[in-house]
Amino acid sequence: MRIVVDHNLCEGNGRCVEAAPGIFELRDDDRSYVLEEQPPASLRGKVELAARLCPRQAIRVLDK
Amino acid sequence: MSALKLETIDIVDPDLYVSRGYPHQEWALLRREAPVYRYERPNVDPFWAVTGHAQIVEVSRQPALFKSIQRLFMTIDEEGAPDPNEGILRQLLNMNPPEHGAYRGVVNRRFTPRGVQVLRQQIETITTEVLDGLVGREECDFVLDVSAKLPLAVIAEMFGIPRSDWDAMFRLSNMMIGPSDPEYGGSNTVKETLELARMEFFQYFNALVEDRRKNPRDDLASALANGKVNGEPLPIFELMSYFALLIIAGNETTRNATTGGLFAFINHPDQWRRLKADPSLVPHAVEEIVRWTSPVIQFNREAVADTELNGQKIRAGDLLCLIYPSANRDEAVFDHPDEFDIGRNPNPHIAFGIGEHFCLGANLARLELQVMFRQLAERLEAIELNGPIQRMRSSFVGGIKHMPVRYRLKPRA
Repeated sequence: MRIVVDHNLCEGNGRCVEAAPGIFELRDDDRSYVLEEQPPASLRGKVELAARLCPRQAIRVLDK
Repeated sequence: MSALKLETIDIVDPDLYVSRGYPHQEWALLRREAPVYRYERPNVDPFWAVTGHAQIVEVSRQPALFKSIQRLFMTIDEEGAPDPNEGILRQLLNMNPPEHGAYRGVVNRRFTPRGVQVLRQQIETITTEVLDGLVGREECDFVLDVSAKLPLAVIAEMFGIPRSDWDAMFRLSNMMIGPSDPEYGGSNTVKETLELARMEFFQYFNALVEDRRKNPRDDLASALANGKVNGEPLPIFELMSYFALLIIAGNETTRNATTGGLFAFINHPDQWRRLKADPSLVPHAVEEIVRWTSPVIQFNREAVADTELNGQKIRAGDLLCLIYPSANRDEAVFDHPDEFDIGRNPNPHIAFGIGEHFCLGANLARLELQVMFRQLAERLEAIELNGPIQRMRSSFVGGIKHMPVRYRLKPRA
């Protein structure tokens, strides 16, 4: 799986960091960054939760 | 409820919202039988009523397929109403990508979780002063004396609008949101009320813009007056509309969540005792208040191309009406959706919308509500209704105009 955050949408609400700490990080520009772009499949549940919870729907989870 | 039938239910008549509040039974029927329902009645233009949580999310996630338009919401045809396709303003709610993102970017960093944290102390202070104003009395109109005051003060301070003008902002916001309510519109038609309010708003904002272009400060008015979209200053109509949007949205919705939240606590005294016993529940309680009250009833979209939604054939040009309070009672998403449970977690309500148009002020609203309900839980020793609540005549925003209460409040600690 591969994670992409659309920075045109992201406004730093930080739900992704709560749902999947260690995978996303909120930086000083009020945007979320992906720390691990291709995390192990075992984390898929957390990543998908982060994508679902994102208020701006800025996270895409791609199959490679 | 077996008496309700899809073909005859009414979900748009604003008088029903005055007399009964939200039509939760009708919405439940729609979710159960037709979460995407072709609503055809003689007194309203036909539209798709989208009442299911999943379907509203699906539409909201695709702004290119389901675009935002000038007509923000559905209501019945009434004498003296303006042309719904014209719209009275042109602001974020009417815009689409990429224009929407460009306009939103002018001020959005002031509204992020970090952006609103700088306001925390100010919000605490204003809230304490508002509640101090209740000391020495036992009765008040909770809307005018409490709910309306905090959000109005906060957004006005953010704009740098002097206190002497706050009453005008309150009055004009009410006229723009509730133009068909006689308390706000008087004997004028809806169109006249909207145009009067817009004219007065624009005159006021225009003076503010002129001042902030000469003497910029670190406030929202200056950010908008000197802001740029794609390298250019905002055109005057869009600039004035932006001011109006933020002033109106900044004080109407949080007001109604505050009133509706306290009303819910009055009707669920066990939850009120629970909050007072454990103030650490405040953040969860606020999410539940926002889910429960869902102050924005609906926003429209228009299908850009033929498509399908929940098995229904949608045609290009069709109107879709997203009904948020219904999604927030969706049995497929929430356990016991008709219970007010301040410990509810997770609480994936979409009262702030979701996706491209997710409420710009959501983090500010949350902060204001958290501070308000924490202080209320600390200081309010007894509260009861002192007369019936009065609802606004609107199928767009669930407004409570007045809520007479009798109370006992502790003086400041």
